[in-house]
Amino acid sequence: MLLSSVILVLQETLEAAMLVSVLMAVSHQARQKISWLPWGLCGGAILASVYSINMQTVSEWFEYVGQEVVNALLQTCISTTVILLFWAVFRTRPVASPAREPIKRRHVPLFQLCAALAVTLTITREGSEILVYLAGFFQLSDDFHAILTGSAIGFSIGVSVGFLLFYGLMSLPGHWGFTLCVVLMSLFAGNMLSQATLLLTQADWLPSSPELWDTSAWLPENTISGQLLYAMIGYEATPSWIQFASYLAGSASILAIAVKTGYWANRSHFSA
Amino acid sequence: MLPFFCLALALCANSLFAAVPVIEIEIRDHLFYPAEIVVPAKTKVKLLIINQDPTPEEFESYELNREKVIDGNSKTVIFIGPLAPGEYPFFGEFSPRTAQGMVRVE
Repeated sequence: MLLSSVILVLQETLEAAMLVSVLMAVSHQARQKISWLPWGLCGGAILASVYSINMQTVSEWFEYVGQEVVNALLQTCISTTVILLFWAVFRTRPVASPAREPIKRRHVPLFQLCAALAVTLTITREGSEILVYLAGFFQLSDDFHAILTGSAIGFSIGVSVGFLLFYGLMSLPGHWGFTLCVVLMSLFAGNMLSQATLLLTQADWLPSSPELWDTSAWLPENTISGQLLYAMIGYEATPSWIQFASYLAGSASILAIAVKTGYWANRSHFSA
Repeated sequence: MLPFFCLALALCANSLFAAVPVIEIEIRDHLFYPAEIVVPAKTKVKLLIINQDPTPEEFESYELNREKVIDGNSKTVIFIGPLAPGEYPFFGEFSPRTAQGMVRVE
């Protein structure tokens, strides 16, 4: 039980840890306070608890596919808030501006709100599963001590990976740290949309589409590298056409905003 | 745009009105019953999963691209397919050592 709880909690923690660390790096590079972080963490903890307590009721909605529909909605909202956040970030000041902060003052509340919401919703999505798991086995299993220890280890590893990523991003020279944040968050936004379409297919709200490729022989999803890639960029060994198209749409929106708002010309504003 | 809309509508209508075979799977003592199910190829199937245990379980399959939490003493629905012939393992993520099963597509 110890090992399986380590793996389970680590899987759920990695995605949220990655989002928080990249958003922290973006805030630092865009000279923004991280006041969104406590709001996001508290909001996430509260909503995840509410969701996990009501998981059974939610599951029964829409003829037993409520869980898929709610999770797809959460993931679409996460993707949208991340895209909006970068819209605020990319509305940079002109290069010659003497201002210290690259983000225009009127876009700062939007940046803070989107960052807090993205973290809240991600923790709600991932945290609720951990809470259902822990609550379900609490007092009902002789292995609860092992489950709790395993969960704590998994959580700690996930948070440590997040810190490593943050310091890694901060240590990159010039604008490269920020550029990597943009790329990672573009893939994250695409991944969230892709997972949303997968859930709607599982609920039979979207038609299933043919498999686009199969890389399970090269890089199976159940290996450590497969799991890490899944958390980082949403790797799927056998994605469908709909998943791929939604992944592309989510990723391309942030990159398109970067090009359209002239971020590239102002990228020197963003450095650690 | 109109052809795409019609196609989407047709696909949705198809998914709404076509009779989907239902296969029941029970979870008891962290085991799946039956542990192996056989489904026809190129056919969408509705899995009705009934968790008889007081503890929750998470149905997961990398091969089927499916993942869903099932509370203790409750039931749920997961749609799979249409699938190509082959074997598609699944497992209970909360008890991965015991809860293992297989969808055989023929």
